[in-house]
Amino acid sequence: MNAPTPALVARPERLRLVGQRRQILAVVHQRLMFGLIVYGAIIAIIALRLLWLAAFGDHAGRRGALSALIPPRGDIVDRDGQPLASSIDVWSIALQPTRVIGDKLELARNLAKLMPEKDEASYFAMIRSGKPFFYLRRRASPDLVEAVNALGEPGMALERTPDRLYPQTSLAAHVLGFTDIDGHGSAGAERAFDKQLSDPATRGTPITLSISSKVQQALEHELAAAMAEFSAIGAAGVVMDVHTGEVLAMTSLPTLNPNIAGQGSPEARFNRATLGVYELGSTFKPFTVGMAMDSGVVKSVGQIYNCPKEFHYGKVVVHDTHPFGRACSVAEIMEESSNIGTAQIALQVGATRQRAFLQKMGFMAPVAIELRERGRTLTPGTNWGEVATMTVGFGHGIAVTPLHLATGYATLFNGGVYHPATILKVDKYHPVGAGHRVFTEETSYKSRALLRLVVMKGTGKNADAPGYRIGGKTGTAEKIVGGHYTSASVVTTFAGVFPMDEPRYVIVAMLDDPKATTKTFGFHTAGWNVAPLVGRTVSRIAPMLGVRPDMNRDANMAEVMPFVHEKEK
Amino acid sequence: MSARSFRPVMSVATVAVAALGCYLVSLRVAAERAGLEEVESRIVLAQRDIRTLQTEIGTRGRLEQLERWNVRVLALSAPKADQFVDGGYQLARLARPTDEVDLTAPVVLAAAPKPAPAQPIATPVADDDADVAASENATQNAPAPRAAPASGGPASMMHVASYRVSGREEPAVSTARPLSRKSPAIVSATTKPAKFATVAKPPHLPGTGHDAKASSHAPAKAGVARDEAPH
Repeated sequence: MNAPTPALVARPERLRLVGQRRQILAVVHQRLMFGLIVYGAIIAIIALRLLWLAAFGDHAGRRGALSALIPPRGDIVDRDGQPLASSIDVWSIALQPTRVIGDKLELARNLAKLMPEKDEASYFAMIRSGKPFFYLRRRASPDLVEAVNALGEPGMALERTPDRLYPQTSLAAHVLGFTDIDGHGSAGAERAFDKQLSDPATRGTPITLSISSKVQQALEHELAAAMAEFSAIGAAGVVMDVHTGEVLAMTSLPTLNPNIAGQGSPEARFNRATLGVYELGSTFKPFTVGMAMDSGVVKSVGQIYNCPKEFHYGKVVVHDTHPFGRACSVAEIMEESSNIGTAQIALQVGATRQRAFLQKMGFMAPVAIELRERGRTLTPGTNWGEVATMTVGFGHGIAVTPLHLATGYATLFNGGVYHPATILKVDKYHPVGAGHRVFTEETSYKSRALLRLVVMKGTGKNADAPGYRIGGKTGTAEKIVGGHYTSASVVTTFAGVFPMDEPRYVIVAMLDDPKATTKTFGFHTAGWNVAPLVGRTVSRIAPMLGVRPDMNRDANMAEVMPFVHEKEK
Repeated sequence: MSARSFRPVMSVATVAVAALGCYLVSLRVAAERAGLEEVESRIVLAQRDIRTLQTEIGTRGRLEQLERWNVRVLALSAPKADQFVDGGYQLARLARPTDEVDLTAPVVLAAAPKPAPAQPIATPVADDDADVAASENATQNAPAPRAAPASGGPASMMHVASYRVSGREEPAVSTARPLSRKSPAIVSATTKPAKFATVAKPPHLPGTGHDAKASSHAPAKAGVARDEAPH
């Protein structure tokens, strides 16, 4: 009950409850305030959230994750940016038998007509089976897809799946490699850089190889033509930059199409340039002479050695293809590729020094390159006596890969510094590999005139392309058939360096078992088959590489010419 | 109600309008952002199309195919060593115009005006052809009235510079010899002193530029007779 108040014209006061009613009122007030606070808090939260969203939130209609085109697997491009391997979406045709409505026989007949690899009966069996899914063709051409779609059958599933495409087909096939059905690399650069190509963070930027497509194509074409002409069973070629170690071209024949890698033979999948080891014969002689010059054994290019028709050392007899039968100088030994002279030089160098040099050049280990397919070299091993030293000196006791040879020549002619070969382009993100010195500058300089002499007047005359100043060394090595060397079957190599007045590029070409033809007058030595091949290739690729043919320039032949007999006319 | 009582209403209305204005601005910003994203997604789609087309062109125009076309049809090859030139100057030299001989033009023989009849020579000489040096010395100190070798026509056109050593005695004078017995380069020494002597127009300078011999003699005699008009 309210307290009695005078019913006068007094200002109305606030209600003053007394006693229990007052308490109840207080409680009611508290509860109201509590509710108000809760309500205010909720509104405040909503308002703050709205403010935050307005400032930082995405608005409706935003399509995420398309800010850049990131392919499902990284691209591989060549040094000029031409794509060599890229991902595309291919159509695949699949059959879902549970969803087939319509005439099964008719469908089977149509499918057999469109995709004749299976016959009608097997298609019908597939349709009638209860299995949920069959792949009919994993890479279907758009015309076929259109035709299958025109059948109007919901049981045919046409979907796009990412797949790997090599637009240049068999160009640089061994360098690029191929992927398996799951999209993982199984050979070549696809395998070596698989992590970088699959990782979403890095697959946006393409991998730039050091390969130049034009040089690669020229080399492959010439090698294929020579292989066909001389009926060789295999061929390999490498073009390298001597200063950076970049591999500008690397090929191995027979080649394959990496788009359909499964259909190639194991012979075609074998990379002869990095995996195959061969005794490379006389192409080793410049290394021996270089070792001798560095060790002080050979003090001048005119140093004389006795070159009889046969050289006996213990039980071993060394023969020459063009025996001198007289004393000859180091220059002449190199010019006519004399085994006898080189054997003597190698003996003077000695096994220890020879092994040390080969170790420094990387010949005792698998070749240094990013690819995983690397062959192990065959060396005399523990049996490295004097006879082994001799034979290694002229390239017969040791089997290395063509890429080893190219790296070795690059080392000899770039001033004597070894750099590992690399398949990635050298730029600011990928500098030249750390190197170490193997030969002295002077040895490197003197070797230029020696090898230019071989091409000007010696066994490599057919390799000379006018104006390009090619120097190099031929090598014809007998293959081992049935446990012993046979002269019927040879491996011919030519290792060339150009331009010889200032070496920049090395090219190595190898033919496995070339046969003699009428045009070569029955000879199958390197000077007849692989040397002209190198000459033609260099005249094609040198302008692309910036080497201008100039008849007025040449290596400093005054270093060697005084020590070479003029041939009697 | 009076206007005064509208004030709170007006203030509320002002606040509401301001709030609506802010909302409009933010709506506008959102619309621009949406437009930008639309453009970006179209860029990405276009890039995808470009990639597909490039792949197609790259496959159809791959190097192996180009090589096949070159082998069969185009037959292009790398240039040879002699097809490179050092620069623009060499290239221009290759393209310079050559001197063409016009075979149909009429042939004009070199001609000279007939020389004026010269004074007779003092003494005819009888030495032989070989004695050029002697004759040269002989005429050094020839007396003044040594006339120009007469109507000795071609011989009178000859003049060869000689090294005169003053004070040297000269043997007998020789006159001009017939030209046919000598090569044109041989000194006809009599002409020289005659030139010194006379002021007359030398007959050996025909006054046209055709005669190469005469023009080559002109510098030698330029100091001698300046009244000559070379051409």
